[in-house]
Amino acid sequence: MHRKEYWLTARGLTLILTLVMMAVSAIAQEDPDPNSPTPILLTESSSIRALANRSGEKGRVDLNRLRPQAFAPGSTVDIYVTNLVLLPDEGPLAFRFYAMDREGRTYRFPVVDMERLTKGQTGVVRMSVALTDELKYWDQPAADGDVLVYLTWRGLASNFAKLGLGSVGGDIRTPSSAVPAPLGTVAAIDRNGTSRSLSPEYVGYRWSGDRYRFLQQTTFGFEPNLDSRLRRIGLRAWLAEQFDAPYPTPSNPYPNQPLKPANAPADCDGDQTVTPDVPETCFRDTYTMYPIQRWNNVEALYGSSQLRHRVAWALSQIWVTSGNDIQQSRHMVEYHKILSANAFGNYRTLMRQMTFNPTMGDYLDMARSTKNNPNENYARELMQLFSVGLFMLNDYGQVLTDGSGNPIPTYDQNVVNNLTKVLTGWSFCQTAASCPNLTVGTVNFIDPLLLTTGNHDLTAKTLLSYTGSTTTNIAACSNCTSAANITTYANNSAEQALDNIFNHPNLPPFISKLLIQHLVTSDPSPEYVRRVALVFKNNGSGVRGDLKAVVKAILLDPEARGDVKTDPNYGKLREPFQYATNILRTFNVRSADGSTLSDGMFTARSEFTGMQQIPFRSPTVFNYYPPDYVVPGSALLGPEYALMTTGTSIQRANFVNRFVFTAPAVAVSNPDVPLGTSLDFSDLQALAQADTTGNQLVNELNQRMMYGTMSTEMKNAILTAVVNIPATSTANYLQRARQAVYLIATSSQYQVQR
Amino acid sequence: MDETRREFIKKSGGCALGMVALATQMHHLGSVSAFAQKAIDESASPSVGYKALVLLYWSGGNDGNNMVIPNHDDGTISNYASYAALRQPQGLAIPRDQLLPISVPRLGGLTYGLHPSLGPVTGGVNNGIHELWAQGKLGIVTNVGTLVRPLTKAQYQSSSFQKPYQLYSHSDQVTQSQTANSATQAFTGWGGRIADRLASVENPSGLIPMVTSIAGAQLFTSGQVTLPLAIADSNTTPANVLNPLGFTNTGGSARLTAFNNIRTYDLSNNYIAAASHVTDLAMQANTSLQTWQEVTATFPNTSIGRQLKQVARLIKKRTDLSVNRQVFYVQIGGFDTHTTQLTTQTTLFSQFSQAMRSFYDEMVVQGVSNDVTLFTLSDFNRTMNPAGTGATVGSDHAWGNHMFVMGGAVNGGNLYGSLRPDGSGNYYPTLLMGNTTGALDDADNNSSGRGRWIPTTSVDQYCAVLARWFGLPQDQQTLSAVFPNLGNFPGTFSQLGFLP
Repeated sequence: MHRKEYWLTARGLTLILTLVMMAVSAIAQEDPDPNSPTPILLTESSSIRALANRSGEKGRVDLNRLRPQAFAPGSTVDIYVTNLVLLPDEGPLAFRFYAMDREGRTYRFPVVDMERLTKGQTGVVRMSVALTDELKYWDQPAADGDVLVYLTWRGLASNFAKLGLGSVGGDIRTPSSAVPAPLGTVAAIDRNGTSRSLSPEYVGYRWSGDRYRFLQQTTFGFEPNLDSRLRRIGLRAWLAEQFDAPYPTPSNPYPNQPLKPANAPADCDGDQTVTPDVPETCFRDTYTMYPIQRWNNVEALYGSSQLRHRVAWALSQIWVTSGNDIQQSRHMVEYHKILSANAFGNYRTLMRQMTFNPTMGDYLDMARSTKNNPNENYARELMQLFSVGLFMLNDYGQVLTDGSGNPIPTYDQNVVNNLTKVLTGWSFCQTAASCPNLTVGTVNFIDPLLLTTGNHDLTAKTLLSYTGSTTTNIAACSNCTSAANITTYANNSAEQALDNIFNHPNLPPFISKLLIQHLVTSDPSPEYVRRVALVFKNNGSGVRGDLKAVVKAILLDPEARGDVKTDPNYGKLREPFQYATNILRTFNVRSADGSTLSDGMFTARSEFTGMQQIPFRSPTVFNYYPPDYVVPGSALLGPEYALMTTGTSIQRANFVNRFVFTAPAVAVSNPDVPLGTSLDFSDLQALAQADTTGNQLVNELNQRMMYGTMSTEMKNAILTAVVNIPATSTANYLQRARQAVYLIATSSQYQVQR
Repeated sequence: MDETRREFIKKSGGCALGMVALATQMHHLGSVSAFAQKAIDESASPSVGYKALVLLYWSGGNDGNNMVIPNHDDGTISNYASYAALRQPQGLAIPRDQLLPISVPRLGGLTYGLHPSLGPVTGGVNNGIHELWAQGKLGIVTNVGTLVRPLTKAQYQSSSFQKPYQLYSHSDQVTQSQTANSATQAFTGWGGRIADRLASVENPSGLIPMVTSIAGAQLFTSGQVTLPLAIADSNTTPANVLNPLGFTNTGGSARLTAFNNIRTYDLSNNYIAAASHVTDLAMQANTSLQTWQEVTATFPNTSIGRQLKQVARLIKKRTDLSVNRQVFYVQIGGFDTHTTQLTTQTTLFSQFSQAMRSFYDEMVVQGVSNDVTLFTLSDFNRTMNPAGTGATVGSDHAWGNHMFVMGGAVNGGNLYGSLRPDGSGNYYPTLLMGNTTGALDDADNNSSGRGRWIPTTSVDQYCAVLARWFGLPQDQQTLSAVFPNLGNFPGTFSQLGFLP
């Protein structure tokens, strides 16, 4: 795709905007306005017909003299947009141009070029749009009249306009709110407001919508104290604080049970009849995921290092292992330590540590792969899932195609075979001299895998070949006559292979997009992916793979920030674990009797497991849901929708019902849930009592759960249900609070994080 | 976004999703949209009688090489010795005396063998599926796999013949087998696409969607306008499987009203619309599932057993639900046997064999065994050449695989398949690997070739035969919409006679 770079001519303005929008300073005392202006698609003065002309028309186009005309499918048309504040290198892929036909089908026409015609936010940008649908969900639209078009940018949708496709006219329905947006009057319809200057005395973060949204993206849910701190110190200072926060939270250390033999001994086999277990919970604490699940959940509910835990949780859904195959909780702990330690570290380090991690080696069989009996499993998934993906990508994360329009594979089976060879010979560290954490009688899942020199493939290998690749060819070993030489060769080969993958051009956009999907939005604009990918490639100091810089870039990007997002395709479904913790944290989650903290084992209840995302129990290496899952009935990426079925949708409602209305009692017979989990609605109950119209109650919940985005219809529906409960008793005030919480928490409007 | 705009999109349908959500509000699961209406003959009426297709998916890539094994000594084609030569040294061969013999009329009466776990097993609830072969109720389609067009080995090696994208990758091969499209990434599954075209004709007043998954969201089950019913297995009764709880306490009735109303708002955001639509489907189906009857046959208490039991319960309720045509999806996982394949397959094979047999027996009891056809698919086959050796021996990702088709309508007791595109071969792959002379079925072509069979029957062909039996209109427009690459495989229906 042809792409030009445009610079603003007003250099001073450029500088200011650059600083504001890129938000590079972590030490700023105050945060800039997170809101981008809402783009305006220019129309005729007396109708909502878009100002448009065929691209490439000779001579100067006079926007005041454009006549209505029809455009041929497949042709390229120029449209005109204003109310934009662009980053210096922000290009056409920051925009998505949608068209709807009379049947209500949506198409997306790629913006292929753009040019700034006049300067400033009120200036006009010409965009060239190719009238060929790129979603390919439906056939190309019929060229039989007007389509309704709009543009999205940074999660914001423009006004609607009409565009003649094939012919002008037809009976396309238009929204009654659509009004002309002619040149020169655009300032009057800037619905977003243009000036939000900070008062001089203000310190911290004033935009509450954006602040709540930020908390959804960086933590396991809103929590009042956290919000207060964020409000006081601002996003950037809070991020800096989180990057350095101790982890795990000191009061919740990793559960480091000792390793046990693969075959459970009689005193730890869960059978108390012949030889009682010592302690009685030995089996549970060793051979199940219970300890790490409980630790993980407590950390999510109460941990002070929320961002690291959140990013580690995201990474655990990229570098997947599963308790379905991994035997002991301690095995999973050693794996999780690598995720959390590198969450703000370097991706290359993560790749090395994970490659030699015995838990991963067990899960994907690298620990059993030898030169005579190679196993492709880890080599394949390392490339497919953990680093470069299947198809060649540009920096925007878009799949590159060949001359026939077919995607270009990143590698073929031959590369899988060769990478497999490089990674042969490593196995569990069972040699006392080399393995400090070896416990006799157990498999060593703590120390990294150890090379058995006789099992390493010494032949030449050819790895990924790409423009600029430097470590594609590994020569056969020429001096492997001693174990020491083989070890050197094998280690060097492995490092070369990991460099070969790490430096592949796919890695930055591939991983950046996955992390954006986990933290912010399921179907990010290509420009957003590129902005983050560029930081992945170079953190500003020449370092590639700096995850701290990447996480920061994701969270402070203008597509992530802002009080409200109006793009119909913006957001993500809360995955079950987030959904649960988000709700629990919002309402002061406590133990069942309220006297202490929850034990975190809400995940053991059937209402939770029915949502199909049990921590540390991914069904396969492809995670609970695939990153390229498309929302049924659309071409929209929505990974978490793989877990949103008729069955699970009701499970979600039943989870809310259980914890909102009938906090599960703690059963003495169930030592696995010693403290239980309950929610505290006392403050909401007081609000319900203070204002019997229910308005204060619903307004508070609107702020806390939906950062003020609740529609009037939804609010009225909730109020009707709230006042249906008579305002006659304390119990009923509590019931009113629960009524409102249930209805918001079960709504799709809340289930989608926007 | 202002009120009016939101209202507008809600009414007009902001996109496909918006439209689906709108259609759902009309409370007619059978008649969906202008699109679906246009796609079918408006004068069509439901077919006579009931039919159901049940897809049993082997998740992870089932090694079919140890499921259907030559059990003869005919020297002119691959025989047991050919098999043993490639698998015995590493310990992956099934001993010959354990094989369950099946006679193959289409190969001159030669004997092949099924894996021993497909017959009676210790602790089983029935005799497994092996004996259905002799009864003519079980057939096998050999060397089925993803293809864009027929490929000889020479064509596979050439870059000028289009191959399925990302062979040997789980996710892509799952996608291709469920979408029946190996040329390009598709957004809809072929089960869903069939339902797009048949639901409003065949199930005009159906109370649940045409497609049901007992194994969560699957690409197979989604069409352009079709969303599946996805429910849990028989551990949960139909009455409880979609049952939202808690509307009986104070304010409960008002809460239920609001709960339902809120789903009709804010549909301009497509993620919200999608979630609301799914919940709508669930709430409507729930009403229809409150009464049900238990099945007669004993099903094994395994995941696949419980899934098929739930399918059988729904089939038993078919008249109640006003469904004339149904498509079901069930799944058994754990087949990605890079290691410890022997014990894993022994367990998994007995699980699906037991479950399939219970299901067949129940269909007989219900009197619909001729109307219900169960068939299998998987990600891919596994390498003929083992991975590892000894107790932990396994195999890696490969390609063409063998599939079961079961039911009274099946022309069972036979192997079905196609010859190679050049007319050579014998329905069953030649068990030779790499650049060995005569190794014309292995995609690998070097001295370390591992035995990845180039399919001789495409997934598209296999599924098209099933769809034709099910009643998919056979006009060119419909066929190319549901199976876009079928035209690349002439003679499909004459070659694959496993169903009428």
